[in-house]
Amino acid sequence: MNDQGRLSTTRRTLLRQIGLGALGGTIAGSIGIHARAQDAKTAPQVVDAPPGHAETAAQHVPFHGRHQAGILTPRPASGIFAAFDVVVASLDDFERMLRLLTERAAFLTQGGEVPARDPKLPPADSGLLGPVIAPDNLTITLGLGASLFDRHDWLAGLKPARLQRMVQFPNDALDPALCHGDLSLQFCANLPDTNIHALRDIVKNLSEFLVLRWMIEGSVPPVPPAPDGSTPSARNFLGFRDGSANPDANDAALMERVVWTHGPDEPEWAHGGSYQAVRVIRNFVERWDRAPLAEQERIFGRTKMTGAPLDAPRASEYDVPDYAADPDGATTPPDSHIRLANPRTPKSERNLMLRRPFNYSRGVLRNGQLDQGLLFIAYQADLEAGFIAVQNQLNGEPLEEYIKPVGGGYFFALPGAAVGDYLGASLVNAARRS
Amino acid sequence: MVGHYLKTTALALALGGWATGAMAADPSLDLVEPLAEYKLYVAENTAKLVEDTTAFTDAVKAGDVEKAKSLFAPTRTSYEKIEPIAELFSDLDVSIDARADDYEQAEQDPDFTGFHRIEYGLWEQGSTEGLAEYADKLLADVKELDARINGLTFPPEVVVGGAAVLMEEVAATKISGEEDRYSRTDLWDFDANFEGAEKIYELLRPLIADDEADFTAKVDGNFAAVDEVLEKYRSADGGFVSYEELTDTDRNALSAKVNTLAEDLATLRGKLGLG
Ligand code: HEM
Repeated sequence: MNDQGRLSTTRRTLLRQIGLGALGGTIAGSIGIHARAQDAKTAPQVVDAPPGHAETAAQHVPFHGRHQAGILTPRPASGIFAAFDVVVASLDDFERMLRLLTERAAFLTQGGEVPARDPKLPPADSGLLGPVIAPDNLTITLGLGASLFDRHDWLAGLKPARLQRMVQFPNDALDPALCHGDLSLQFCANLPDTNIHALRDIVKNLSEFLVLRWMIEGSVPPVPPAPDGSTPSARNFLGFRDGSANPDANDAALMERVVWTHGPDEPEWAHGGSYQAVRVIRNFVERWDRAPLAEQERIFGRTKMTGAPLDAPRASEYDVPDYAADPDGATTPPDSHIRLANPRTPKSERNLMLRRPFNYSRGVLRNGQLDQGLLFIAYQADLEAGFIAVQNQLNGEPLEEYIKPVGGGYFFALPGAAVGDYLGASLVNAARRS
Repeated sequence: MVGHYLKTTALALALGGWATGAMAADPSLDLVEPLAEYKLYVAENTAKLVEDTTAFTDAVKAGDVEKAKSLFAPTRTSYEKIEPIAELFSDLDVSIDARADDYEQAEQDPDFTGFHRIEYGLWEQGSTEGLAEYADKLLADVKELDARINGLTFPPEVVVGGAAVLMEEVAATKISGEEDRYSRTDLWDFDANFEGAEKIYELLRPLIADDEADFTAKVDGNFAAVDEVLEKYRSADGGFVSYEELTDTDRNALSAKVNTLAEDLATLRGKLGLG
């Protein structure tokens, strides 16, 4: 099918190219008269590319290592989460897919020149970043879903012990077009274009194996750094600082316990990976913006502007509430988000997770309300003790009046790849042995 | 595909016609025979399209809903097989094959005509009432298409590029089941698009088989894989079961193959030295 609109545009282009007709003549003429001289340095023009920053464009995160990048890596401003269905007929196919994916991800995250091709062929690259790809802090993090393990006998017995299909929680209204998947890719970079470019590269180069199922683009608002270079936690679309009480990602021992999968009941190949819980959580932003500030703060248990706990409003967002001194919840309500999510008892230590969310904005819904929310992404060593247990504690929280989870899925982020190796090699080797 | 067509037209204008211009230079010489054969293939299909559309529109005008329904999918296949050529006449392509969502007022839009308008009447409204005018127009359009195609010199890059274009068609509107949304006969169109693409590829294959053995092995494999999936959905009468019966796994398999075929077939023009 063609539409007629395209025909006329194409015809105009054609006329211009071959210099026929009054229209073609006018356009050709105007180019000569109005185009600014290339040699003179002139004042900026309206469609000049916005100035980028050579320094941030050159930032790169090492691709290889014991763990995948994009988990403990400081979250840059832009993210894409994409879930795919996988088409592979055999373990050999699966290995080919993983090798190819590793090769693309290693190239894209480290940057470099796009190979030139015979112009009679489609170009190797979309070209949207030009002839040289800047790394721009890009990370690409690969996860696998339970459905992939369940469908292939050659992966039988190798599924991570807690990997399962996400089930509906009481406040959820899941849209099947935003749920689950055999494989997940999390793209994070300074600029959204870097993520889009990487996603298109992978869709093109892995068309044989990957069918895109759903995706969400997200961002977080950058904040000018303090003199010491530090920045506070970014705000979510409800206007609160999000991430204040995250466990310290620079504490390697803590990460071993909280984030990296280990333990004798997990398959050996999976050690050093991490469970990735993803939730697409709509925020009813119009309604939220009409809620009194004091109520908003009671709902979360933190102050809105600074992020400080309610029992120490002049402290910083990094201070933690003292629930022992407030057993009845007079200051921090027992059903506030942070108190339900982490009651800070010795027992709740095992429910920790590392949250790494983005905000998303996807246009307007039929009712005229904004379709905005939180692309919640959390990593944990144990999916059941982490996300699932905490979500069950949160069920029924007052925040639910203002949020609606509509999608997501559970994935297992693979262990990292050593130099010369590919992502998922430990799984493929285990499958060959069994 | 209008773009290719116009570009080629420009080239032909510049060179004084493609038969003596674009075709004269090496390596296009090798293309003469496959192009001639393809032209025959298209002519056979447009003739069949006129014949089948006559029977289909007769049934509609006779008020025979069941017969018209049974002829709908098989009639369309000759159009779907030659879509890269049929699409060159975008005015006819719109009036023959546009879908409701090409129009702002969807099904109620007065400009919505052709196969899918009749499909809407037969399946959604269960009646031929008010369809006679669409039937007359469809038949007239199809005859006009046949006449125009018979008078056309086939632009080589349109034919060679047509294999990929058919895969783009499947990827864009067939995989999702949007094409025949009332009758759910999408798998017929699917099959016809693949057949049309494979025909072009088969005609050109000898020209590249020696130099591009890996490429042809991969493309052959993907066409075979598609056939294998579609075979599962054949109905007793040689047609296809409802699109709704396509499993998610098979839809994904088809989608992956279609996109890979589109990637690979998109290089055919370049491999044959056509820009
Ligand atoms: C739209 C949905 C959500 C919003 C807007 C939201 C927002 C917040 C905010 C503002 C905080 C306080 C600052 C901080 O420590 O980060 C917080 C803390 C927290 N949230 Fe959420 N959250 C949401 C969903 C979830 C979900 C689904 C979970 C897990 C099931 C979760 C788990 C936590 C945890 C564990 C904390 C830290 C509590 C602490 O250690 O004190 N949140 N969230």
